[in-house]
Amino acid sequence: MPSIEGKAPPETGREMGPEMGREMGPEMGRAVVETTMLTKVYPGDVTALDGLTVSVAPGVTGLVGANGAGKSTLIKILLGLVPPTKGQAKVLGHDCENSGETIRTLLGYMPEHDCLPPDVTATEFVTHLGRISGLPPTVAKERAAESLRHVGLHEERYRLIGTYSTGMKQRVKLAQALVGAPQLMLLDEPTNGLDPAGRTAMLELIGRIGTEFGISIVVASHLLGEIERICDHLVAIDSGRLLRADSITSFTQASQVLAVEVEEGLAQLQAELAAHGLTSAPQGTQGRTLLVPLGGDDTYDVVRDCVAALGLPMCRLEQRRHQVEELFRDEEEVPHV
Amino acid sequence: MSEAQADGVIHDLGYRGYDGPRLGRAQIVRALTWHSFRSAWGFGRGVKGKIVPALALIAMCLPALVNAFAVARGNQRLFGYDVYSPGLRVAVVTIFIAAQAPELVSRDLRSRVLPLYFCRPLRRGDYPLAKYLALTGALLLLVEIPLLIMYVGTIASAKGGSAVWSETKALIPGLGVGLMYAVLFAAIGLVLASFTGRRAYSTGIVAIACVLTFFLSLLLIQAEGGLSATSTGARVAGLFSPFTIIDGVRVWLGGNPQTGLVADPGHYGPLYGVLAVVLLAACLGGLAARYRRVARS
Repeated sequence: MPSIEGKAPPETGREMGPEMGREMGPEMGRAVVETTMLTKVYPGDVTALDGLTVSVAPGVTGLVGANGAGKSTLIKILLGLVPPTKGQAKVLGHDCENSGETIRTLLGYMPEHDCLPPDVTATEFVTHLGRISGLPPTVAKERAAESLRHVGLHEERYRLIGTYSTGMKQRVKLAQALVGAPQLMLLDEPTNGLDPAGRTAMLELIGRIGTEFGISIVVASHLLGEIERICDHLVAIDSGRLLRADSITSFTQASQVLAVEVEEGLAQLQAELAAHGLTSAPQGTQGRTLLVPLGGDDTYDVVRDCVAALGLPMCRLEQRRHQVEELFRDEEEVPHV
Repeated sequence: MSEAQADGVIHDLGYRGYDGPRLGRAQIVRALTWHSFRSAWGFGRGVKGKIVPALALIAMCLPALVNAFAVARGNQRLFGYDVYSPGLRVAVVTIFIAAQAPELVSRDLRSRVLPLYFCRPLRRGDYPLAKYLALTGALLLLVEIPLLIMYVGTIASAKGGSAVWSETKALIPGLGVGLMYAVLFAAIGLVLASFTGRRAYSTGIVAIACVLTFFLSLLLIQAEGGLSATSTGARVAGLFSPFTIIDGVRVWLGGNPQTGLVADPGHYGPLYGVLAVVLLAACLGGLAARYRRVARS
């Protein structure tokens, strides 16, 4: 597993593009997060992280894993709130166990759960947290107003947070992470509880912060299909272990699959597809769905022609949504496809 | 900065970083303390939040104002600075911490704001420390302002420098007792209020703890023969409530045993002193332990 570690950084230069490189400046090429055999065992022998070794390059990085995979524990260790049982974690070159305070001045954190008091205005709240981030009073006020404007809260920011919609609250949470002028932001499930339009808007916002603002971002999510849109790199963890760390392109290439569901004749279809040069694999043991690696638009045509030639009753043809669970399956299947 | 401005050219609402000076931890704690101190008095909280602290302060000042009138009409000062109006002080301090300690800690627990504090450059103990300093300061104003009003009201009618000097000498132990009130009850209020994020519950817990223990001690003192009794039972009866403990310390340190809440503790006096310190340490320790746990979750 440690051998995978090296994969992420070399991609950096190509992935970032020239304009990002300029904004990232000195951060270029230096890992923003580095862990070495990081292990966390909670009392009661609950292993949240199990020898995790990963290196995260500047830019927007998705941290994907199912619920309970260890994402939140990793974030808490990075924030210096929870000491690791074994191993080491570094953020922006600082050791998490010894330099928690220094790290926390450089970090912006957006928790997964609700964390906003209902009875203050967004301006007051974000200004206050700006002070706690160490900003002088006037700077805190200015930056609070700017941060709220950047996340799209204008006049609403003078209203009590209790009157906000879920989407607006998520924006306030993002603004408070931004107010301290962080170099790295840790966002834990930022699209939680949002409707599809809200999710898209939130992701665009995060993407903008990553590219235009030049702030590195680690965004944890259990929805790979969602965050892959804005990420340069992905780190997938499962049961506290590193599954894969790679650039986004290699992930999507591997995980873009066409699912073909037929009511009967699966084996015939597989043979027919093979005859047309497409390697496919049945999904699960039910034997109704074939997974075909999606090469391009002509893959659709070949599948259609094969199904038509065999006269099979087809009930579904879809590009697969990349849930993390599928990523885990891909790990086993994809290498030989 | 020049880099940031270059960004501004591309997007007129462009993002600007900040690489100016940042406050150190001590200054951050000070900012949090000031913020909490203000909310203890209801500032930044809307009208509703100001009602209880304002009424408490007004109620607390009434005896001092009455005293000023009485002294102006030629009467003696109505009561000592060290005891003030004891029953009223117990009631008002209870109401104030029952209402405002939850304001400082339960709100943050309830709305789960704490992770936002602990992900910033604070240490675990800094948050409870700031809250404690804030509530101590708020209580200090609540108990000392009436004393100062009483002092000013009295010396306004005093004749001659020696009268002013004797008033001043009487005021100083009074301020000391006020300080004991603030230091001890801020700790008690916060540790009890931090048990739960449900504000109604934490208000209830604080109020019940203060009222029950106070009446327990009061009843025991009555049962043992009142303030002038000298039996062992009467001497230790005040050990069961923080209000009477403070009053016991006051008498032990030379206060008048006839005007306060407890009978003369006699040679049990040091016990009152030790218990006050132990109680304070226990509350502060409990508060720190509480937030060590919260910070990790």
